[in-house]
Amino acid sequence: MVDLVQSKPAAATEPKRSLTSRFSHLALPVFLILLIVISGLVSPAFLSGSNISNMLLQVAPLGIVVIGQAYVIILRGLDLSVSSVMATSAVIATSFSGQNGDVLPILLVAVGIGVATGIVNGLLVTKRSVSPFLATLATMIVLQGFRFAYTQGAPSGNVPPLFRAIGSATWNGIPYNILVLIVLAVVFGLLLARSRFGREVYITGGNPTTARLLGINADRVTIIGYVISGAMAAIAGLVLSGYVGIVDNWVGRGFELDSIVAAVMGGISLSGGRGGIVGGLLGAAVLVVVFNAVLLFGLPVQLQIIIKGVVIVVAAAFYVRRSR
Amino acid sequence: MLKLTGISKGFAGVQALSGINFDVRAGEIHALVGENGAGKSTTIKIIAGALQPDAGEIAFDGKVVSWSGPADAKAAGIHVIYQEFVLFPHLTVAENIFLGHERRGRFGLIDHDRTRRDAADLLQRLGVAIDPDKIVSELTVADQQMVEISKALVHKVKLLILDEPTAVISGREADLLFARLAALKAEGVAIVYVSHRLEEIFQIADRVTVFKDGAHVATTDIGDVNRERLISLMVGRDLKDIFPPKRGTGGGKVTLKAENVSVAGRVRNASLELRAGEITALAGMVGAGRTEFAMAIFGGLPASSGTVWIDGEQVGMLSPAQSIRRGMGFVTEDRKGQGLAMLLDVAANVTAADLDAVTRRGVIDRRRENQIAREEIEKYRIACRGPSTPVATMSGGNQQKVIVARWARTSRKVLVLDEPTRGVDVGAKTEIYRIMRQLADDGIALLMISSELPEVVGMADRVVVMREGVVSGELAGAAINEAAIMRLATQHPSAAGSHP
Repeated sequence: MVDLVQSKPAAATEPKRSLTSRFSHLALPVFLILLIVISGLVSPAFLSGSNISNMLLQVAPLGIVVIGQAYVIILRGLDLSVSSVMATSAVIATSFSGQNGDVLPILLVAVGIGVATGIVNGLLVTKRSVSPFLATLATMIVLQGFRFAYTQGAPSGNVPPLFRAIGSATWNGIPYNILVLIVLAVVFGLLLARSRFGREVYITGGNPTTARLLGINADRVTIIGYVISGAMAAIAGLVLSGYVGIVDNWVGRGFELDSIVAAVMGGISLSGGRGGIVGGLLGAAVLVVVFNAVLLFGLPVQLQIIIKGVVIVVAAAFYVRRSR
Repeated sequence: MLKLTGISKGFAGVQALSGINFDVRAGEIHALVGENGAGKSTTIKIIAGALQPDAGEIAFDGKVVSWSGPADAKAAGIHVIYQEFVLFPHLTVAENIFLGHERRGRFGLIDHDRTRRDAADLLQRLGVAIDPDKIVSELTVADQQMVEISKALVHKVKLLILDEPTAVISGREADLLFARLAALKAEGVAIVYVSHRLEEIFQIADRVTVFKDGAHVATTDIGDVNRERLISLMVGRDLKDIFPPKRGTGGGKVTLKAENVSVAGRVRNASLELRAGEITALAGMVGAGRTEFAMAIFGGLPASSGTVWIDGEQVGMLSPAQSIRRGMGFVTEDRKGQGLAMLLDVAANVTAADLDAVTRRGVIDRRRENQIAREEIEKYRIACRGPSTPVATMSGGNQQKVIVARWARTSRKVLVLDEPTRGVDVGAKTEIYRIMRQLADDGIALLMISSELPEVVGMADRVVVMREGVVSGELAGAAINEAAIMRLATQHPSAAGSHP
């Protein structure tokens, strides 16, 4: 349409990106590998087959939650309600007969609750401009209340054997639940990285005003982000209930913060628009390895918490410097 | 009073100032002019101690000085009033004036009575009637500016620097400001006055210094230059080399008609027509409601009333998505805040308004996208390493070309450009002008919002002028000149100017 042949081309001058910024995306994988190698040297038991498979078992539910959390954080939000959705979903898992025949209804009801929670979160954040922190804190508490009312404080019943198998059994040392994580990570990773919807997520998260002026329905994109997070949390709750085997009202407790920590460590910026699923999953892996090593080395559990805090500060400092 | 000798300053790869000289005498108003990117702001920041020069010497009050920070300069009697006021909106006038220098009483506690009394004294000295107990956010912009100036008087101010003070106030308020400045000048205060408005420079300045591309071009008594000379000094070439030839009015059919558009509190019953092949400028003071009017037409702001016709078809008020589908585009003024997806690369930004073109079954075809981006990079000569260069690392001019390229792809009928050359160097400016004219020649109706009068006069086939939320007049063809536009923009004879 426009043809500009009249003047000289402008010189393509632009500062080169520094070496550190170009390789900064390798920092986390390198850190993870170092962590594994050092842990293995300190305690040979760390690299034993059973411990590795144990760690994989633990990373699966966290990783699944991180997938959803990644969408929400890239959209400038965060989702505190995931732990409550997980626990509710675990309660649902035991509310039927405990037979395999009920797996489908359980899945539908649990994911339905996750989706509904996501819709409420999304509507509060977009249409009512409630801050994501408050909106998801509120739905977390409300859902918790419903759960308590439903279980009368003492949930009972059995998890169907299929969930138990997926949640805790292994095949040649590879737990089944990691397969669930891989499938979900591939599907939602590709959706984020390659699809038109994913592009809209990044544009909206980077700047909602820009998105609106580009004709993107930023509210809808944001609501879908929260829906994905709710659905992932529901699935993670089922997986975790199979791992735990019994159910109480607090399955998934702490996952809201762990998932946010993992995402931030994985380079997903809390200011939105930046990061991806792979980073988030690496962050989840680092968390699980650190926790595992602390226990394996016979260090006090309290140290886990301290380490978690230190890791957050270090990760935050690292990414603040990187984004300059 | 102040003398800069051979001051240089560079930022990552860009030489902002190269060996400039500049001096200000006590009791004079010295205007500092130049295009965007000429180095005015950098110079101000160096004088104010907010930046340290790489080379050169600053002498203040006869002594060579070296500020380690703004506090040093402030203590020496230098005060800067930036375009963005540094006021705390929820504190009172008095509290703002003495912020950081609170009047203290017993036990080091703040003495509110004395703060109020001293503030009242200062405001009286300035000759303005502002209640020191008023909350700053309740004041008019002009009064807020007076509070800023009062802050300067807390210390014994010797040098007062004003950066585009009239960009935010109306003509009548500007005259009040000029009267206050004249009074300060009579007290022996040296004043550096940065402005784009040549009319007011001829009205108040004693001397004028011109910067261009970080270098000192000329310093002269105001009586020794005229408008045309000053412009060509600023721009460094004749106007006809910057602006492509106009097509002239007549012929083009009306592509877009907007009638009685209102935006709560900002725009009242504004109407305009855009014609195919023409560049229409929307002129007026900052705050006259130009951006809001255009934004409402595009659908980016909710309009309380109004109707839009496109190609004669009544479409009502659209959403941005509908406007884009109907062939409209909007290059926003605030590139970083609204225009670019700063975290994404060139390719993603170029296709952002037209994702349909690169989406196949819901998946982004990255190869197609890169191909489009490469074409646009070549067409608009965007300086970058390639389609995957993050836009955040690029210069303002190149970022602007990315946005123009994006909208030029989708805008079949109407393209709005809000301050398209703000913060862009002269070279990129010239290119953007040529691109705009080319788009118009291709039959698109362009609406250019601009605060730079030379740009309006140089580019527009037709000018719609707004004042305080209403359309105050329209000019076309040979009737377009700066004085006429200013008259419509202010309706205030003295600001319209009768200078050479």
